[in-house]
Amino acid sequence: MTWTAPVIDRRTEPYVGDERTMLQGWLDFHRDTLLQKCRGLTAEQLKQASVPPSGLTLLGLVRHLALVERSWFRIRFAGEDVKDLYITDDNQDAEFDDVASADAEADFAVYRAELVACDAAVADRDLEETFVDPLGGSTRSLRWVYIHMIEEYARHNGHADLVRERVDGVTGD
Amino acid sequence: MTISWTAPKIDRQEGPLVGPERAMLQDYLNWHRDTLLLKCEGLTAEQLGTAAVPTSNLTLHGLVRHLTKVERSWFRQDVAGEDVPKLYSTAERPDADYEDLDASAAEADFAAYRDEVAACDAVMAGYELDDTFTFGRVERQTMSVRCLYLHMIEEYARHNGHADMIRQAIDGVTGE
Repeated sequence: MTWTAPVIDRRTEPYVGDERTMLQGWLDFHRDTLLQKCRGLTAEQLKQASVPPSGLTLLGLVRHLALVERSWFRIRFAGEDVKDLYITDDNQDAEFDDVASADAEADFAVYRAELVACDAAVADRDLEETFVDPLGGSTRSLRWVYIHMIEEYARHNGHADLVRERVDGVTGD
Repeated sequence: MTISWTAPKIDRQEGPLVGPERAMLQDYLNWHRDTLLLKCEGLTAEQLGTAAVPTSNLTLHGLVRHLTKVERSWFRQDVAGEDVPKLYSTAERPDADYEDLDASAAEADFAAYRDEVAACDAVMAGYELDDTFTFGRVERQTMSVRCLYLHMIEEYARHNGHADMIRQAIDGVTGE
């Protein structure tokens, strides 16, 4: 049977809670929203740049967020010795650009595994902890990373809204 | 000579990368407020009213009106309980903020947006992140001000994602 992007039981954010609970809740909501925007589509549909002149695709967004999760949480904040996903010296946008030849099912598995690894990398770390960003040298806090990741996902989910609508007409938050 | 109005230039400020929770939330919200206006910068009222992505009713003018309504609804009506009317939408026309656009009112709608942001910030200065409020017409629910700030950031960010695609389809301009 042809693989399609799986059904998601999206988590919802808590309305009341401490800072960390709330940040994690909103991040998880948007992680699940991205997968929900892909739900039920075939690899071919996930590779469709449906809102020209934009080249964005749903698979490109999943690959991009896997790259971004690893980059901020594991490489730049936690200092893990792992390589960037997808991009190369020759193509810094390869996660978006190289979707035609990509294995969608494998990329979804990479994305889900990355979420688990990222949560583990920061689980015992404090929001006030700071780090020097190896790209550019600025000092940032884990609090900033969380808020940034929420708005990064939300903005890309706005892209995903329109890409999905143009693939098969499905809308919704 | 009459020079037709275009959406004004925006000097968007980067927020702090370290520091306390409240300041970071406020600055990220401000950054997205400015990003919405930045996506509109330099366009005419006609361009701002263009539904540039086929099948979607979204326009940049409609997004500005929607966010004006949303700011007032959450901050002034739900949190502060101010007795001010809902903006744009009515029971008969719930999507009027998006759909009932008048190009000749674009400049006034942009002014109303800026006024609303100032009024919302003024009222929210009196609340702490741990404060809670109730909302919802049918089923009353409790939410904290902390949750609302994060919601407003992700609400703006998501709509700014829409704005990215609309602006690119209008005149090719991209960028975060």
